[in-house]
Parts: sequence; structure tokens; C-alpha cells
Amino acid sequence: MKRAAAIGLGILGFSFWFGSMLLLGRATEGADEFGRLYGSLFLLNAIGVVTLIVLIAVNLVRLVRDYRSRMPGSRLKSRMVATFVILSVLPLVIVFYFSVQFLNRGIDSWFSVDVEKGLSDALNLSRATLEIQMRDYLSATEEMAVRLQEWIPVGLAGELARLQRQSGALELTVIGSNSRIVASISDREELDVIATPTEEILVQLAQGLSYVGLDPLANSGYQIRTAAMIPMVSPFSEQRMLLAIFPVSERLSSLADAVQHAYSDYGELSYLRRLLKYSLTLTLTLVLLLSLLTAVWGAFFFSRKLVAPIQNLIAGTRAVAQGDYDTQLPLPGNDDMGFLVRSFNEMTRRLSEARRQASASQATIENERAYLAIILGRLSTGVISLETDWRVRTANQAAGSILGFDLESGIGRPLLEIARESSLLEQFVDIARRHIMAGDSEWREQIVLKAEGGRRVLMCACSGLNSESGELAGYVMVFDDITALMQAQRDAAWGEVARRLAHEIKNPLTPIQLSAERMRRRLLDRIEEKDAQVVERATRTIVQQVEAMKEMVNAFSDYARAPDMDLIQIDLNHLVLEVADLYRAREIDVTIDLDLDSELGSVEIDPGRVRQILHNLIGNAIEALNHKKGGRLWVRTALETDGEIRLLSIVVEDNGPGFSLDAIEHIFDPYVTSKPKGTGLGLAIVKKLVEEHGGRVDAANRDEGGARMSIVMPVDDEARTALLRKEAHSTDYKGERA
Amino acid sequence: MEIRSAYTEIRDDVFYVNARIDYRLNQSALDALENGVRLNVELDIDVRRRRRLIWDPAVAELRQRYRLSYHALSERYVVSNLNSGDVESFSDLATALSWLGRIDRLPLIDAPLLDDDSRYDVSIRAVLDVKELPGPLNLLSRFWGDWRIASERYSWRLER
Repeated sequence: MKRAAAIGLGILGFSFWFGSMLLLGRATEGADEFGRLYGSLFLLNAIGVVTLIVLIAVNLVRLVRDYRSRMPGSRLKSRMVATFVILSVLPLVIVFYFSVQFLNRGIDSWFSVDVEKGLSDALNLSRATLEIQMRDYLSATEEMAVRLQEWIPVGLAGELARLQRQSGALELTVIGSNSRIVASISDREELDVIATPTEEILVQLAQGLSYVGLDPLANSGYQIRTAAMIPMVSPFSEQRMLLAIFPVSERLSSLADAVQHAYSDYGELSYLRRLLKYSLTLTLTLVLLLSLLTAVWGAFFFSRKLVAPIQNLIAGTRAVAQGDYDTQLPLPGNDDMGFLVRSFNEMTRRLSEARRQASASQATIENERAYLAIILGRLSTGVISLETDWRVRTANQAAGSILGFDLESGIGRPLLEIARESSLLEQFVDIARRHIMAGDSEWREQIVLKAEGGRRVLMCACSGLNSESGELAGYVMVFDDITALMQAQRDAAWGEVARRLAHEIKNPLTPIQLSAERMRRRLLDRIEEKDAQVVERATRTIVQQVEAMKEMVNAFSDYARAPDMDLIQIDLNHLVLEVADLYRAREIDVTIDLDLDSELGSVEIDPGRVRQILHNLIGNAIEALNHKKGGRLWVRTALETDGEIRLLSIVVEDNGPGFSLDAIEHIFDPYVTSKPKGTGLGLAIVKKLVEEHGGRVDAANRDEGGARMSIVMPVDDEARTALLRKEAHSTDYKGERA
Repeated sequence: MEIRSAYTEIRDDVFYVNARIDYRLNQSALDALENGVRLNVELDIDVRRRRRLIWDPAVAELRQRYRLSYHALSERYVVSNLNSGDVESFSDLATALSWLGRIDRLPLIDAPLLDDDSRYDVSIRAVLDVKELPGPLNLLSRFWGDWRIASERYSWRLER
């Protein structure tokens, strides 16, 4: 619609322009009705010229501004405009120059001497012809004047009529003194006024001469006017004159008119030729200016039209370069440029589509990655993936928990560098590096790390990651903390050993003891004194050692034995106080300090087992103090919470020698003891009893010196269930417990 | 070129103008005339009612137009009255111009058409110009050549 309107307007403007130029040219030609329009047309065309100049100026300013600001396409547009202007202006100027030259020479050539002389001669010829007739009419008039001298006014009219007929005059008038008309006769129908003598005639006649003159008529044709004095009859008679008007034959008139007109027009044109040249040059200049300016404006217009799609393309390309793939350009038409723009639009559409797909793929990958991260986060198994240069690429929470270092914050950093910040991690990395340096990218090993709270046993597997091209792209290490599992296996094994020992060893002990006692009883009275002493010593030793062995076997039996739990509500503080009082009553050299949490109240525990635990711990501590001067022992109870779970805590500390670092790893294993006496089952039993309550026990050295045994266990069955559930989900707890 | 004298006379309730105009042609006009270019002579006569504050409205406007040309064949100067169509020819230019310059009893306006209480002024001006040329020549003639000669406007009060 807009395009059609623009085309319509363009056609209208062109028609108007062309029409006005045609009319201007026509008006220049001559004197017809267009001639009168010349002024208006000139003005109209001049307005057109001014309008075009303004339009061109605006376009030029815009082009210069675009060129200076290095607007895309402005250079191409400038070149196109310059080319168009040169191509259109140069021929026009050349044509104009030759037209003006031709015009001036052409006009000059019209007015040649020959033509002028010819016309002048024609005029003289006509004049000569008429003069012959004029002389004839003058003679006739003078004759008539002589004939009229005799006539007095009476009868003058009749004589005049006769003379008129004879002479062929149109009008005869006799004028008396004071220009009085005496008599007149006229055939001139068109005039109702009788001709009177002009001043010129009067002057001529006064000089005694007759008058003859050629009078041009108003429209065309001529008449010959003559005048002669009528001779006076007597000196006293009135002075009279005869005026006559004679016709000129129509043929002669028309010929003379033609010659007169030609001569007059030629003279006029010749006189005005400078003006004529100016006028034609002016018209030509105006037409040239209009054409030239229209061509220049057209150059701007068409270059703008041609460059617009290119500018759009440049802008579109920039937009695409900046990442805006949704750019769609307006179609300029069905030409080559249209094809180009359509191709561009198709390209951006495809790019946009590709980007959308890429985004979707990326989102999918991100989701997968997040999903993987969640899985890795939930895993209790530690996972670390490394680049070939040992930079940490991925590490899950469990890996951090197991190795005691926040590996997730170290993602992107070299593992060897991070390892310096944690001794556990350093040991782990050393083992891994040893394998990889040996060219062993696929390995599996159970590794033991030394930690502050004991040793950690990890089952670690490492695998090389290969890229699609088959090159080594990194490593992934998967490891599990199997310390607790190992402990459980060991505990189970020890339980089995204890049970078998109790069973296998206890049975023959009684016959041995009985046999020794019988041997003693039978032989002691019968043998000599000397031998009797030997027997007595030997049998006593056998009985004593068998007794000691029995005790040992009973202890093993106790360790292996697992009677049902008898959980009841009981005041733990009261129980602790009871056991402590028992030891205080023994008058030992150890001060026992109690710090009991009054908020603890009644808790659900097996009192027998807890009593055993307290006995073992306090007994161990007192033995460790070994009658040390100023030996002290602290027993503390407290109510703790782990989230929502309520826990009771029992801590037994002493200021004795503490544990040796080597022993601390195996302190809870059966048959491990730092004491000269003892079965080595005390702490193993403690651990077993605590675990039966769902709690845990830790052994550590106090900073001030001495040992610290800490027990944490749930206060009731509800807390126990919650704790178990939590342990199942929490790798943290597991890690710490391990 | 100037108006030598001008006056009005009333006769039978009609105002008539009498004037004497001295037409003097410059060289351009004379050359043009000798070369066959016709000259137009126009006599502008206005009657305006005088008003004190605002412009004076024209009550009557009279345009008397003549054409002066040289007739080469008869070697005479021809004066045509374009209003009446009358043609007069003269053997010399001076006679023609003096004939042109003599305005006798030219009817101007009927006296009853005029308001008795108002004052009226008559003004006269003579303009001599080259005849209307065809097309672009007409436009250019305004800028080139000094053919156009105009007299000062001559005014007088219309006396009854």
C-alpha cells in the first residue's frame, strides 16, 4: 500500500515536472496562450528548482554526516551518488553547452543582411506602387477642385456626387473657412463622422501645396487621403478646400499589409534578438537545471534505495556478531538483493534454532551434571576425579569427610598443592601418586592412613579416564572408609576366638586341677620330705596357674557372651555415684571428682552393662595411675543433643601417663593392654557394651597429660532409633566415628 | 514624461477630464519604435473618496489605452485608441505625441453617483511601455531595457 502510494506520487511528480518543462518550452516558442503562462510556468519551475536544491542539500548534509560518523554503507552510497551524478550531469552539461551555442548562432543566422535588404526592397516596391496611385489620386483631386471653383453651395452636393462617381473616391468633402463643412458625400458606411482636415493638411495647404497621404486603417488595408485648395473665383470669395478619401484595391492592400507586417515583425525580432537569445537560454537553463537537479536528487534517492538493504544487512550482521540471532531483515523485493536478504534471514533463523537446541542440550547436560552431583553428594563413597595434571575436577562431600579436608573448595587446584594442607590427604595422595608415577593408572588397594584419632582403613580404586580419541584425559578415584567394617570383622573374630577358647580350654582345666590336687594328696604323705616339698610346690603352681587360666577363660567367656539387653529407666548420676563410692571406700591414693549434670535425669539403659562399663573405665584409670602421688580421676556426665537426638555423655579422665600413640589405634582390640597385669579385654568389653547401647566410645590423650575416655549413647529407645536412621544417611557421622 | 495640467469640469451632471501630458520618449523607446516595436500608452485615472484614518476607496477607475507604432510602408506614426478602436496617423512623432498628450473632455463619472458630503480626489498617471511581448520576452523585458516610462501621479480635488 505504502509502496503503491510512493510509486503513484513518483509518477505524478515526474508527470508534473515533465509537463511543466514541456509547457515552458512551448511557451518560449511564441505568442499563443502558452506565452501568457510563461511567467507562471517559469515561477513554478523556479520553485521546483529551489525545492530540489533544498532536497539535495538535506541529502548531502545527511550523507556527509553519515560518512564522517563512518556509518555502514555510507562509503558505498557516496560512491554511487558520485557515479550517478557524474554520469548524468556530464552529458547534460555538454548538451546544454552545444544547445546554447547552436541557439545563439541559429538566431543570429535568421537576421542576415540579405533578408533585411530583401524586405526593405519589398517595402520600397510596395511604397512605389502605392505612390503611383497616390499621385493619380492627387491629380484627380486637384482637377476636381478646379471643377468645383464655379460651384456655389447650391448644387454643390450634386456636383460632388457626380465627381465621386467619376473619380471612384470614397468620400468627398468641401471645407470652407474655419474648417466649416460646406458639402460632403461619403460611401464609408462604417464611419458616421465625416473626416475633417488634420493640422498637417492645413499646414500643407497653407503653403499652397496639395496634400496626399497614405492612411493605414485600424485592422487592415489602407486609404489614400488627398486635399487640394479650390481656386477662388474672386479675391473676395471664400477660401475652400476639397478633401478626398480614395480606397486602395484590396489586392494591393493585402500585399502591402503582408510586406508591412513582415518588415515590421522582422524589424521587431531583429531588435529584440538579444532578448530572445536571453529568453531561450534562460528557458534552456531552467530546463537543464530542473533535469540536472532531478538527476542529482534521483542519484541520492536511488543510491539510498539500493544501499538501504546493504545497510540493513550490515546492521543485521553486527547484531548476529553480538549474539542476537533473532534478527530478521525487511525484504527489499524479489531481486538479487531480496535473495541475499532472504538467505540472511534463513541463516539467522537456523542460527537461532541451533542456539536454542544448544541451550536445550546445555540445560540437559546441566541437569545431568546436577543430578550426578546430587548422587555423588549422597554417596558415602568418596569420589575424586582428576585432570592429567592432577587438578581436582570433581570431588564429592564424602571424599572430603573421609580425608578430613573440604575438597569441594579445592576444585580446580592441583591435588598435590591441596595435599600439603592435610596430613591425611597427603598420605592418600602419596600412595596414589606412587601408583600413577609407576604408570599404573588402573589400580585397587586397601590403604591405611594414620590419623589423630586412630588409623583409617580405606579401600581405594583408581581408574584412568580416556577421551573419545583414546588419550588419557584424567583419573577417577573411588574410596570407602572400611575402618568400621574391619573393626566389626575383627570384633566378630575375637568373639569367636573367645568362645572357642572358653569352650576348648575350660574343659580340660578342671581335670588338670583335680589331678594335681589328687596327686598332692596321695603322694605328699608317702614321699620323703625333700620330694614332698617339690610335689607340694609343683602342685600348688599347677593349681594356681589353672585357677588363673580359669579366670582368663571366664573373662573370654564373658566377652563372647551376649545376654539380652535389659533396658530400664534409671538415674545415671545415681549409678555413677554408687560405683564411685565403691572405689572411694577402698582407701586408694586417687581422688575421684564427680561432675554430674543434674539435667540428665532418668535415662533408658541396661544398668548392669553400664555398671560394668564404669567399673572397667574407673578400674583401668586407677590401675594406670598406679599409686601415683596426687593421682586424680574425673567422671563427668552430661546431656548432649545432636540435632533433635538427645544423647548422654560419660567422660572418664585421669592425670596418668595416657596412651602411647602406637597403642591408641588398637586400644579397643581384645588382648591389648598397657598394664603389667590384665586380660586386655577391659576396653574391648567396654566398647562392646557401649555399641550394644547404640553409642560410641573414643579414647584420647588429654592435652594436660593423662587419658580421656568419652562415651556417647542415646538416652532412650526413641533416640537410639533416630540415631541409627541418621547414621544410615550420614557419611559425616560415619566418617567421624571411623 | 509629466502631466502638465489636468482638471475636471462638470457638464450636464457628468464630470469630464481635461489634461495635457508631455510625452518624452527615451532612447530605448525611440529605438524600439523605429525598429517596429509597438508601444503601449496607458492613462490611469482614479476617483477616490477621501477618508481620514483608513485607505481611500476607489469610486471610479478609468483606463484609457493607446498604442503607438511606426508604420514603415506609409512612413507614418500610427496612434490607435484601444478603447474606441479609432486610428490616427501622423507624419512625424512629435505630432503623434502631442495628439496623444491632449485629453479633451474625457467622460469620467456621473455626478449623482458621488456623495455630496464627501470629498473626492482625482488622480491621473501616464505609463508608456513596450507592447506585451510573447512568452519569456515579456518576463525578460521587465529586467532588461528601460522601455517602461511612467509619469508622476497628478492629483487634484474634485470640485463641483
